[in-house]
Amino acid sequence: MFERFTKEARVVVERAREEALDAGSPSIEAEHLLLALARRGSPALLEVGLDHASCLEALDDELTRSLAVAGVGWDAPVRSRATLNSPRFGASSKLALERALRVAVERGDRRLDARHVLLGVLRAELGTVPRALEGAGIDRAALAASV
Amino acid sequence: MSSTGIPIPESPADGLAAVVALRRLADRLEAAEVERALHDGWNWSAVAEALGVTRQAVHKKHAKRLQRGT
Repeated sequence: MFERFTKEARVVVERAREEALDAGSPSIEAEHLLLALARRGSPALLEVGLDHASCLEALDDELTRSLAVAGVGWDAPVRSRATLNSPRFGASSKLALERALRVAVERGDRRLDARHVLLGVLRAELGTVPRALEGAGIDRAALAASV
Repeated sequence: MSSTGIPIPESPADGLAAVVALRRLADRLEAAEVERALHDGWNWSAVAEALGVTRQAVHKKHAKRLQRGT
Protein backbone atom coordinates (compact mmCIF):
# COMPACT_ATOMS: atom_id res chain seq x y z
CA MET A 1 0.00 0.00 0.00
CA PHE A 2 2.92 2.34 0.68
CA GLU A 3 4.60 2.31 -2.73
CA ARG A 4 2.92 5.58 -3.79
CA PHE A 5 3.80 7.33 -0.53
CA THR A 6 6.36 10.13 -0.65
CA LYS A 7 9.28 9.92 1.77
CA GLU A 8 7.56 12.61 3.86
CA ALA A 9 4.35 10.55 4.07
CA ARG A 10 6.34 7.46 5.09
CA VAL A 11 8.03 9.49 7.83
CA VAL A 12 4.57 10.51 9.11
CA VAL A 13 3.44 6.89 9.18
CA GLU A 14 6.58 5.78 11.03
CA ARG A 15 6.19 8.70 13.42
CA ALA A 16 2.60 7.55 14.07
CA ARG A 17 4.02 4.28 15.35
CA GLU A 18 6.06 6.26 17.90
CA GLU A 19 2.99 8.26 18.90
CA ALA A 20 1.09 5.01 19.50
CA LEU A 21 3.93 3.72 21.67
CA ASP A 22 3.99 6.98 23.63
CA ALA A 23 0.27 6.58 24.27
CA GLY A 24 0.76 3.02 25.51
CA SER A 25 -1.35 1.82 22.60
CA PRO A 26 -0.83 -1.65 21.10
CA SER A 27 -2.23 -0.38 17.78
CA ILE A 28 -1.63 2.63 15.55
CA GLU A 29 -4.90 4.56 15.28
CA ALA A 30 -6.03 7.61 13.30
CA GLU A 31 -5.25 9.91 16.24
CA HIS A 32 -1.62 8.79 16.09
CA LEU A 33 -1.47 9.81 12.43
CA LEU A 34 -2.89 13.21 13.44
CA LEU A 35 -0.28 13.56 16.20
CA ALA A 36 2.48 12.54 13.79
CA LEU A 37 1.32 15.19 11.30
CA ALA A 38 1.19 17.79 14.07
CA ARG A 39 4.66 16.75 15.30
CA ARG A 40 6.26 17.67 11.99
CA GLY A 41 4.35 20.94 11.90
CA SER A 42 1.50 20.74 9.40
CA PRO A 43 0.79 24.27 8.06
CA ALA A 44 -2.96 23.57 7.83
CA LEU A 45 -3.08 22.32 11.43
CA LEU A 46 -0.96 25.23 12.70
CA GLU A 47 -3.30 27.64 10.91
CA VAL A 48 -6.11 26.56 13.26
CA GLY A 49 -3.77 26.53 16.26
CA LEU A 50 -3.14 22.80 16.37
CA ASP A 51 0.43 21.94 17.26
CA HIS A 52 1.47 18.63 18.78
CA ALA A 53 0.73 19.72 22.37
CA SER A 54 -2.73 21.05 21.56
CA CYS A 55 -3.59 17.89 19.58
CA LEU A 56 -2.58 15.79 22.57
CA GLU A 57 -4.67 18.00 24.81
CA ALA A 58 -7.71 17.76 22.51
CA LEU A 59 -7.38 13.96 22.42
CA ASP A 60 -6.96 13.69 26.20
CA ASP A 61 -10.02 15.93 26.65
CA GLU A 62 -12.04 13.65 24.40
CA LEU A 63 -10.84 10.63 26.39
CA THR A 64 -11.79 12.33 29.66
CA ARG A 65 -15.25 13.29 28.37
CA SER A 66 -15.99 9.84 26.98
CA LEU A 67 -14.74 8.10 30.13
CA ALA A 68 -17.07 10.34 32.14
CA VAL A 69 -19.95 9.00 30.03
CA ALA A 70 -18.99 5.55 31.33
CA GLY A 71 -18.82 6.90 34.87
CA VAL A 72 -15.03 6.71 34.98
CA GLY A 73 -12.83 9.55 36.14
CA TRP A 74 -9.10 9.73 35.62
CA ASP A 75 -6.48 12.31 36.49
CA ALA A 76 -2.88 11.69 35.58
CA PRO A 77 -2.39 10.20 32.13
CA VAL A 78 -0.45 6.98 32.65
CA ARG A 79 2.16 6.70 29.94
CA SER A 80 4.48 3.77 29.53
CA ARG A 81 5.96 2.16 26.46
CA ALA A 82 8.78 0.10 27.96
CA THR A 83 7.20 -3.32 27.40
CA LEU A 84 5.22 -2.70 24.22
CA ASN A 85 5.97 -4.47 20.97
CA SER A 86 5.90 -2.42 17.80
CA PRO A 87 2.22 -1.51 17.35
CA ARG A 88 0.29 -2.75 14.32
CA PHE A 89 -2.07 -0.65 12.24
CA GLY A 90 -5.52 -0.50 13.81
CA ALA A 91 -8.82 -0.19 11.97
CA SER A 92 -9.05 3.61 12.18
CA SER A 93 -5.55 4.26 10.79
CA LYS A 94 -6.07 1.73 7.99
CA LEU A 95 -9.29 3.52 7.08
CA ALA A 96 -7.55 6.92 7.18
CA LEU A 97 -4.75 5.70 4.89
CA GLU A 98 -7.26 4.13 2.49
CA ARG A 99 -9.10 7.45 2.39
CA ALA A 100 -5.81 9.26 1.82
CA LEU A 101 -5.19 7.05 -1.21
CA ARG A 102 -8.72 7.76 -2.43
CA VAL A 103 -8.12 11.52 -2.08
CA ALA A 104 -4.94 11.21 -4.14
CA VAL A 105 -6.80 9.23 -6.82
CA GLU A 106 -9.68 11.76 -6.87
CA ARG A 107 -7.23 14.62 -7.33
CA GLY A 108 -5.28 12.77 -9.97
CA ASP A 109 -2.13 12.94 -7.83
CA ARG A 110 0.35 10.19 -8.57
CA ARG A 111 2.14 10.47 -5.25
CA LEU A 112 0.63 10.46 -1.77
CA ASP A 113 2.12 13.08 0.56
CA ALA A 114 1.49 14.29 4.11
CA ARG A 115 -1.44 16.47 3.00
CA HIS A 116 -3.24 13.44 1.60
CA VAL A 117 -2.70 11.67 4.92
CA LEU A 118 -4.18 14.65 6.76
CA LEU A 119 -7.19 14.71 4.43
CA GLY A 120 -7.63 10.97 4.94
CA VAL A 121 -7.67 11.50 8.70
CA LEU A 122 -10.06 14.45 8.42
CA ARG A 123 -12.55 12.50 6.28
CA ALA A 124 -13.65 10.43 9.27
CA GLU A 125 -17.00 11.62 10.56
CA LEU A 126 -17.09 9.16 13.43
CA GLY A 127 -14.53 8.16 16.00
CA THR A 128 -11.95 9.71 18.27
CA VAL A 129 -10.41 12.27 15.90
CA PRO A 130 -13.61 14.06 14.77
CA ARG A 131 -14.87 14.07 18.36
CA ALA A 132 -11.59 15.50 19.68
CA LEU A 133 -11.54 18.19 16.97
CA GLU A 134 -15.16 19.10 17.62
CA GLY A 135 -14.44 19.33 21.34
CA ALA A 136 -11.54 21.67 20.59
CA GLY A 137 -13.84 23.90 18.54
CA ILE A 138 -12.23 23.02 15.22
CA ASP A 139 -14.36 23.12 12.06
CA ARG A 140 -13.20 19.91 10.38
CA ALA A 141 -14.70 20.72 6.98
CA ALA A 142 -13.09 24.17 6.91
CA LEU A 143 -9.80 22.68 8.02
CA ALA A 144 -9.96 20.06 5.25
CA ALA A 145 -10.76 22.75 2.70
CA SER A 146 -7.60 24.65 3.73
CA VAL A 147 -5.23 21.70 3.22
CA MET B 1 -29.59 7.08 35.74
CA SER B 2 -29.50 3.37 35.12
CA SER B 3 -29.58 0.81 37.93
CA THR B 4 -25.77 0.71 37.90
CA GLY B 5 -25.54 4.39 38.74
CA ILE B 6 -23.86 5.09 35.42
CA PRO B 7 -25.69 7.73 33.39
CA ILE B 8 -27.11 6.42 30.12
CA PRO B 9 -25.22 8.01 27.20
CA GLU B 10 -27.22 10.61 25.32
CA SER B 11 -26.62 8.94 21.97
CA PRO B 12 -25.11 5.79 20.49
CA ALA B 13 -22.19 7.92 19.30
CA ASP B 14 -21.44 8.97 22.88
CA GLY B 15 -21.94 5.45 24.19
CA LEU B 16 -19.67 3.91 21.55
CA ALA B 17 -17.05 6.61 22.12
CA ALA B 18 -17.14 5.68 25.81
CA VAL B 19 -16.35 2.07 24.85
CA VAL B 20 -13.38 3.28 22.79
CA ALA B 21 -12.20 5.47 25.67
CA LEU B 22 -12.40 2.57 28.13
CA ARG B 23 -10.30 0.43 25.76
CA ARG B 24 -7.71 3.21 25.43
CA LEU B 25 -7.58 3.62 29.19
CA ALA B 26 -7.28 -0.16 29.68
CA ASP B 27 -4.44 -0.33 27.11
CA ARG B 28 -2.60 2.53 28.77
CA LEU B 29 -3.07 1.06 32.23
CA GLU B 30 -1.96 -2.37 31.00
CA ALA B 31 1.25 -0.95 29.50
CA ALA B 32 2.06 0.85 32.74
CA GLU B 33 1.18 -2.01 35.08
CA VAL B 34 2.95 -4.71 33.06
CA GLU B 35 6.08 -2.56 33.18
CA ARG B 36 5.69 -2.11 36.93
CA ALA B 37 5.17 -5.83 37.51
CA LEU B 38 8.32 -6.70 35.52
CA HIS B 39 10.33 -4.08 37.40
CA ASP B 40 9.07 -5.71 40.60
CA GLY B 41 10.40 -9.06 39.40
CA TRP B 42 7.23 -10.74 38.15
CA ASN B 43 7.69 -13.29 35.38
CA TRP B 44 5.56 -13.35 32.23
CA SER B 45 3.51 -16.34 33.34
CA ALA B 46 2.47 -14.48 36.47
CA VAL B 47 1.66 -11.32 34.47
CA ALA B 48 -0.47 -13.35 32.04
CA GLU B 49 -2.29 -15.18 34.83
CA ALA B 50 -2.98 -11.93 36.69
CA LEU B 51 -4.35 -10.39 33.48
CA GLY B 52 -6.43 -13.49 32.85
CA VAL B 53 -4.91 -14.10 29.43
CA THR B 54 -2.49 -16.58 27.88
CA ARG B 55 1.27 -16.00 27.75
CA GLN B 56 0.93 -15.84 23.98
CA ALA B 57 -1.63 -13.05 24.29
CA VAL B 58 0.70 -11.06 26.52
CA HIS B 59 3.65 -11.55 24.19
CA LYS B 60 1.62 -10.41 21.20
CA LYS B 61 1.29 -6.99 22.79
CA HIS B 62 4.39 -6.88 24.95
CA ALA B 63 8.05 -7.45 24.26
CA LYS B 64 9.74 -10.39 25.91
CA ARG B 65 11.89 -8.11 28.03
CA LEU B 66 11.87 -4.52 29.18
CA GLN B 67 13.39 -2.24 26.57
CA ARG B 68 16.06 0.09 27.82
CA GLY B 69 15.86 3.83 27.43
CA THR B 70 12.17 4.04 26.72
